[in-house]
Amino acid sequence: MTEYIVKESNLTEFFQAVSQNRTLLSPVGQGEKCRLEPTTPDKIKLDFANTHLSPKASFFPQTERLLAFHKDKSLPNSNVYQDLGDKAQDCVLFGLRPCDAKGLTVANKVFQNDRFVDPYWKGKYEKALKIGLACLKPSPQCFCAAVGGSPFGEQGLDVLAYVKEGGLGLKTLTEAGEALIKSTKAESASLSNEIQKLEQEAYGLQKAEKDSYKVITERDLMEVYNDPHWPFTAENCLNCGVCTFFCPTCHCFDIQDEQSEKGGVRMRNWDTCMSSLFTLHASGHNPRPTKVERVRQRFMHKLKYIPIKQDGVFGCTGCGRCVVMCPVNIDIRDVAAKMCRPTQTAKV
Amino acid sequence: MNNPYLPYPVRIAEITVNDDERNLRTFKFEFLNPGDEEKFSYLPGQFAELSVPGQGEIPIGIASSPTEKGYLLFTVNRTGHVSTFLHYMKPGDVMGIRGPLGHPYPFEKLKGKNLVIIAGGFAVTTLRAAGVWLLDPANRANYGKISFIYGARGPSLLLFLDDFKAWEKRDDIDVFLCSYKEAKGWDGLVGFLPEVVKKVCPPADNAAVFLCGAPVVIKFTQTVLLEAGFKNEDIFLSLENRMKCGLGICGRCNVGPEYVCKDGPVFSVAELSGLPREY
Repeated sequence: MTEYIVKESNLTEFFQAVSQNRTLLSPVGQGEKCRLEPTTPDKIKLDFANTHLSPKASFFPQTERLLAFHKDKSLPNSNVYQDLGDKAQDCVLFGLRPCDAKGLTVANKVFQNDRFVDPYWKGKYEKALKIGLACLKPSPQCFCAAVGGSPFGEQGLDVLAYVKEGGLGLKTLTEAGEALIKSTKAESASLSNEIQKLEQEAYGLQKAEKDSYKVITERDLMEVYNDPHWPFTAENCLNCGVCTFFCPTCHCFDIQDEQSEKGGVRMRNWDTCMSSLFTLHASGHNPRPTKVERVRQRFMHKLKYIPIKQDGVFGCTGCGRCVVMCPVNIDIRDVAAKMCRPTQTAKV
Repeated sequence: MNNPYLPYPVRIAEITVNDDERNLRTFKFEFLNPGDEEKFSYLPGQFAELSVPGQGEIPIGIASSPTEKGYLLFTVNRTGHVSTFLHYMKPGDVMGIRGPLGHPYPFEKLKGKNLVIIAGGFAVTTLRAAGVWLLDPANRANYGKISFIYGARGPSLLLFLDDFKAWEKRDDIDVFLCSYKEAKGWDGLVGFLPEVVKKVCPPADNAAVFLCGAPVVIKFTQTVLLEAGFKNEDIFLSLENRMKCGLGICGRCNVGPEYVCKDGPVFSVAELSGLPREY
């Protein structure tokens, strides 16, 4: 839509304006402590690589109460679950990396799918204005280019910002984003040439080749599934689930009831496909009985199943968190490379 | 906004113990709030989450047909935590039902066809619902010949026997009941269901099959059906997998890219042939 600049000296004032009547969420803390949380306009950081955790928890908390009931038979509706509702408030997120914003759009299509809308997700997701911060210097684990993303990616954002000499460059992407920036004192500017140049530079700094995993989406599903490398790929896996915990698109959850003598709540908690309990039938049958099936499920889901359901968009956004966090160094880039072409033997 | 996680409050109206081993009970539920029955608009083949406050939810196929007004039926096998708790609940107790979920058998697409319904054991529930629905005067004329082949390990494990006995007397449905074992007082067919299907199955011309049962029954019956000339596109199975949300979100019931809860549970064999056997 339109482009703007904010001078360095006006940044605090700018963040004050965008967070008028809204909570401001932005990365705070350094390194492993870098996290997305409510902050004040004067504390906005521009010099971080990415948050340690993905931003999904802001829309899909690790534990969330959905429903509640009471057991008092003298009152109406005893033993009847009531909606606890969604207490989402208007907020503005500043500093989402393009990979994470794209990750939220992938999860959004699951939470608001072709048949059902998850009200708890929808409330939070749609009340958040999202200002992204483009990546000028990718981290070693970054590979967004390989999975169809870009260091200047725009998906899922209302505004894309980038750090430029003397301040911030802004590109509005939605009407809500345009209205938001218009309400500030940001000056309009023409930045498309600069953005294009910086984007190409940032691509060049990534080790990943552009769209190098696209071929996976073109291969036959059962051929990728039956490739002989899976037992070898899964060999080191501990099924600890840290990859699913950090992944910006992993959306699986468990629903559990908790109760006391007075009543109870139904809540959902993050779950992981790495757990054998995840798919265990009450009968004892388990469709994914060993870690080979479970590891294969995770990679197939990210790189094959989600693209089938979401018009070729990968369920992996190249943020690289699982690459860094995996205790046994399973690297999704290696696995994706194996999934690109038929493997003849188990050992690759 | 409509919250798909919120169950409709229901009251247990009646509990029937179905078998000598007391593992199977059929629950009859009535909606607490007038108007909820209309909102719970379903077709046979769909399922719902039986929601026990404080205990959890279980996905169970709906055994009643929408043509039976005023109540819902579910047959529950006592297996896990929630189903065991449910078995100890009493008529009058209040709980919840969330649904309907999943897709029904493809009745619309199969208009004009002959239907062969094959059920093994207590997987009969949604097929019994299909039978009731098809025999309803509003629907019967839309389909050709209907055959129902139903087998269980023993005669005492044949559920909804009153319905089947009544249908045996009708001339617009052929009912074949069979017991795996010989039993006192049983004068019907005896044998392994796939063998019985081989003997009594009507011709495959212009026919479709609904097939539900234990995996071993499905496997061998499928072979029999293919030999008899049925095509993979015309054989419909109802899958089950562990489920939580029932909405295609919580992520555990997938078979390849398809969620059994949201995209199934009814799939044709042809649809499943290009997917992993993770069910």
